[in-house]
Amino acid sequence: MNFRIAFPAFAVLPLAIACSSRGSCKGDYCGTVVFVTANNPKTLLPTEIENAAARDVDEQLFLRLADMGMAGNTVGDSGFVPRLATRWEWDDPKTLVFHLDPRARWQDGVPVTANDVAFSFDAYRDPVVNSSARNALTKIASVTVRDSVTAVFRFKERYPTAFYDAVYQMWIIPQHLLAQVPRTDWLTAGFGQHPIGDGPYRFVSMTPGQTIELAADSTFFAGRPHIRRLVWKIVANLPAAVSDIVTNQADALEFLGSPANIEQVKKTPGMTLIPYPGSNYMYVELNTRANGDSSRPHPILGDAQVRRALTMALDRQSMLTNVVGSYGKVPPGPIPQWWPIWDSVRTLPFDSAGAARLLSARGWRLGPDGIRVKDSVRLSVEVMFTSTSGARQAFARLMQAQWKAVGVDLQIQPLDQNLIADRLASGKFDAVIQVFNSDPTPASGIAQHWTHGAPNNYSHWSNDDFDRLVNLATTAATAKQSRGYWRGALNIINADAPGIWLAAPDNVAAVSSRIADVKLRPDSYWALVWTWRIPADRLIDRDR
Amino acid sequence: MGGGRLWLIRRIAAAAAIVFAVTSLTFVAIHLAPGSPFLPPPDRPVDTAVVARLNHQFGLDRPVSTQYVLYLRNLSQGELGYAFSRGEYVRDALATAIPNTLLLAGTALALDLGLGLLLGVILAARARRATDVVLSNVTLFIYSVPAFWLGLVLVFVFADWLHWFPPGFTSTPGLYETLPFLGQLGDRLHHLALPALTLGLVGAAGTARYQRAALLETLGREFVRTARAKGVRERRVLLVHALRNSLLPLITLAGLSLPFLLTGSVLIESVFSWPGMGRLATDAVLARDHALVTAVAIVASAMVVTGSLLADVLYAAADPRIRERAA
Amino acid sequence: MTVRPTLALVGAAVVTVVAVELLRRRTRGLGSGRRYFGHPAGVWGLRVLVFFSVIAALAPLVAPYDPAAQPGIVTLQNAPPSWAHPLGTDAYSSDIWSRLVYGGRVSLGVALLATLVAMTVGVTIGAVAGYARGWIDAVLMRLVDIGLAVPRIFMLLLAVAYWNRIPLALLVVLLGLTGWFTTSRLVRAEALSLRGRPFVDAARALGASPARILVRHLLPAALAPIIVSAVLSVGNVMLLEAGLSFLGFGVQPPTPSWGTMVADGQAQLALAPWTSFFPGLTIAIVVMSWNAVGDALRDAFDPRPEHA
Repeated sequence: MNFRIAFPAFAVLPLAIACSSRGSCKGDYCGTVVFVTANNPKTLLPTEIENAAARDVDEQLFLRLADMGMAGNTVGDSGFVPRLATRWEWDDPKTLVFHLDPRARWQDGVPVTANDVAFSFDAYRDPVVNSSARNALTKIASVTVRDSVTAVFRFKERYPTAFYDAVYQMWIIPQHLLAQVPRTDWLTAGFGQHPIGDGPYRFVSMTPGQTIELAADSTFFAGRPHIRRLVWKIVANLPAAVSDIVTNQADALEFLGSPANIEQVKKTPGMTLIPYPGSNYMYVELNTRANGDSSRPHPILGDAQVRRALTMALDRQSMLTNVVGSYGKVPPGPIPQWWPIWDSVRTLPFDSAGAARLLSARGWRLGPDGIRVKDSVRLSVEVMFTSTSGARQAFARLMQAQWKAVGVDLQIQPLDQNLIADRLASGKFDAVIQVFNSDPTPASGIAQHWTHGAPNNYSHWSNDDFDRLVNLATTAATAKQSRGYWRGALNIINADAPGIWLAAPDNVAAVSSRIADVKLRPDSYWALVWTWRIPADRLIDRDR
Repeated sequence: MGGGRLWLIRRIAAAAAIVFAVTSLTFVAIHLAPGSPFLPPPDRPVDTAVVARLNHQFGLDRPVSTQYVLYLRNLSQGELGYAFSRGEYVRDALATAIPNTLLLAGTALALDLGLGLLLGVILAARARRATDVVLSNVTLFIYSVPAFWLGLVLVFVFADWLHWFPPGFTSTPGLYETLPFLGQLGDRLHHLALPALTLGLVGAAGTARYQRAALLETLGREFVRTARAKGVRERRVLLVHALRNSLLPLITLAGLSLPFLLTGSVLIESVFSWPGMGRLATDAVLARDHALVTAVAIVASAMVVTGSLLADVLYAAADPRIRERAA
Repeated sequence: MTVRPTLALVGAAVVTVVAVELLRRRTRGLGSGRRYFGHPAGVWGLRVLVFFSVIAALAPLVAPYDPAAQPGIVTLQNAPPSWAHPLGTDAYSSDIWSRLVYGGRVSLGVALLATLVAMTVGVTIGAVAGYARGWIDAVLMRLVDIGLAVPRIFMLLLAVAYWNRIPLALLVVLLGLTGWFTTSRLVRAEALSLRGRPFVDAARALGASPARILVRHLLPAALAPIIVSAVLSVGNVMLLEAGLSFLGFGVQPPTPSWGTMVADGQAQLALAPWTSFFPGLTIAIVVMSWNAVGDALRDAFDPRPEHA
């Protein structure tokens, strides 16, 4: 080959390749937002999702009948915004009729109909599917189809948050794609790896453990989303996620965690910190039944006085400051910051000496190694938590030292989140540090967790007075009455201590400054991504 | 070449035998545990359809000898079970993870050998002088450093502080897909730099130490003295005569480096969120996913055995004495 | 720091220097002794090892604070190095220097004991294989091949996956049982060469049992390479234990190990780099010392003219 001819050709080739870049988007409908998370979704089927990342992705793919407004008002229906349903009315106090938007389509072209709504209700209530929302839907008697765009909800009784229960718990799922899939297979169904929804974004691809990609549906009936692509990047743990934010590899992280991380991101140019009232709380759940054998009480944690002592031995305020700095409060019960029942209730004080006395009084004597013993059982509690959470690990280490001071041994057990879920379900644990991401209303949150037989009541704690007060609180006619009942219930649960309330953090999210119109809805941070946009003059390489 | 071929066949047979033995031992190990090997740990929900399918495929209702044969046949077809912790089949999980580890290990190996060889030559050339003393100690230090700590230090300096390199992952999600081919290559290299450098540096230190010793030994041998007596220049003596002779063990070293690289990858992949076999194994242990951990162990062993086999073959190809001896 | 720990530290340094000097004097008569102490790296390595061993043994005296104590989780977390805390404090306000000292007990202790286990098993199997030859040798050496085929860390991960939590003793045994393969090959080679010697036949004719022959003749001959191999492998085991602890599978909190300390510091790497930096540096220095001592021993026992 003649060198003089070949050389310019070789020189031009790379330039040609570089110029023919695949991304050359201009204007108002460009943009790629990269969300970074340490949660790894196993499936995206709405009834089976079990972590925050899966929920965030489904929020873009699927629609609810109506969405919560920014104010978070869950009483009545005035605080809600039409989504799949354009309007609704109450035929009578126990019958709610939704009129669906006739323009709504599944992303394979099939129209969304009331049949899908009825099918969804049936699936969410099905014990085989075992959706986490199952118990929140008990007060709905039935969902029937009046015509293709009209769905009728009938309630068993009237109560203030009926509308909320009807719309908030369910993303509507496609009947025509899921009816033939046996319900026992839903956990591993292909639909969960390649979902087809009706929301503003379409599913593109998912590489398990690495990335999930969505693309804007330009034909979405409520308006084309401005941000063209959404990418979820799954990393090993929170420090890795923060590293990505700090180096601008990712655009959004919903929860920064420790003050160290918040300070780091604060110093990063191009990133905005967005604090918002926390919707979650972190707590230790104590198993009152024996580890692996729920027919017997737990030899250590079955005793309410011991649980009280364990709580009193902890300086929760100092622990909180160590872990989240000033970005949080110690909750006076199993409640996050944004519930309106944050009240003056009787909480257990920090009293190390008192805790020691209480333990001795219950028969736990100090052994030779500094750990208490009773009837040849060592006062040793194994605390498990998800290994990717630095905050939970930190609380566990702090608790370990404080419990040691009163003669209690804490065994630290970091595990994979799926394994924890399984151990909780089968009762094979002593204690677990959990974060509960609450719904906007205490009614579902507390009832789902701490009442007798509730699906998330892994501690198997049961108290009739508590149940009675919770019931009264949820069905009370006025907010003032309701608060009174809640206060009573919280006093009971604090006295019995089936759980130790560690933190109600302020949530601080980090979002790239180049994104405009950023709104975070407190119950689901990325729910309003479809309203965000990146102005044309702020586009960077990956946006095009 | 008849003798050489026979030797090669014997070596391959030996390698196959070892992999066979490892998988057999794994078979014994997981079948000693009660219940089906495809059942998740007792406290997990049982995916009856999947478990039934795998049980049937591996013939768990048959006598043990049939089971064993079926197990091997399934293994050879890549059917390694179901990774309950990930919601996918083990082979799919491995299919995405193995190339990433090979990329990292391969690049690290190249750095290891290239840098190590260069450093070894310099150290030998300047033996016992000031340069050697200082550099030798530096090399020893790097050789002794925990690789994961070195990775953290590099992340802190080059990613968090200087922002020259990304702190992890294989490419920039969101951007990578939109780049042209050269851009994609560049992005991948940019992400590969720090993890490969971490592994490569520690490996290079080891190679340099070895190379220095080997070179110095060769330099003391007869034929070198002859060359010197003949008036050949010192540099030529070093590079041409001594180096060529000590190059052979380098091939073996490359083959033997594979276990180190795989071990290192378990730790480095955790530090850099690199989605390879190491991270797969770590996550599998946290989730007590026995099928996945076992499969990773088998694959890792197969890689090591293949690596040392390749090294032996290359060594024999390079050194006729080996072939003749085996004939 | 207060008086007692400072005195203990100085005392440890003095003991180190004295001990090494005494060792030098006592081995001056041996060729290997003179050769060893002619290596400056080897001497310094020895000093570092003795020093860390002494302060680990005397940890309660040397450490100014309780390593598990969290004296001020609000006021003292992530404090930079100061007079009160020479290496700073970690995220839980524990003193890093105290944790380092106690951590030495675990890191050094586990490495030494695991190496002991590995050497015992390796020497025994190597000796039996080399001496007995025949099918015993073949079986044992195939076992070694298999052992060398599986990367050590994967074997350890497999074991961890089967247990909820590994007690320290089990960790030591596992580390040992995964590391005897190279030693056994070494000892086997020695045993094979021993087998062919005439005095062995004579001893057997006189009725000496194989065990006696192995102990009285094989061990002394193979001792040098065994020691060198052992010393060099301790460093490797330390790195392995640190790696496992870093991933969360080794030593469990609150017991400090240098590896867990590096892991603890990862979360605040940008904010408080000393929390990860010092433990990692310590591992590097101690492993480097093991390697330097191993190198020097190798040269001392088997000198070659071109080695420095």
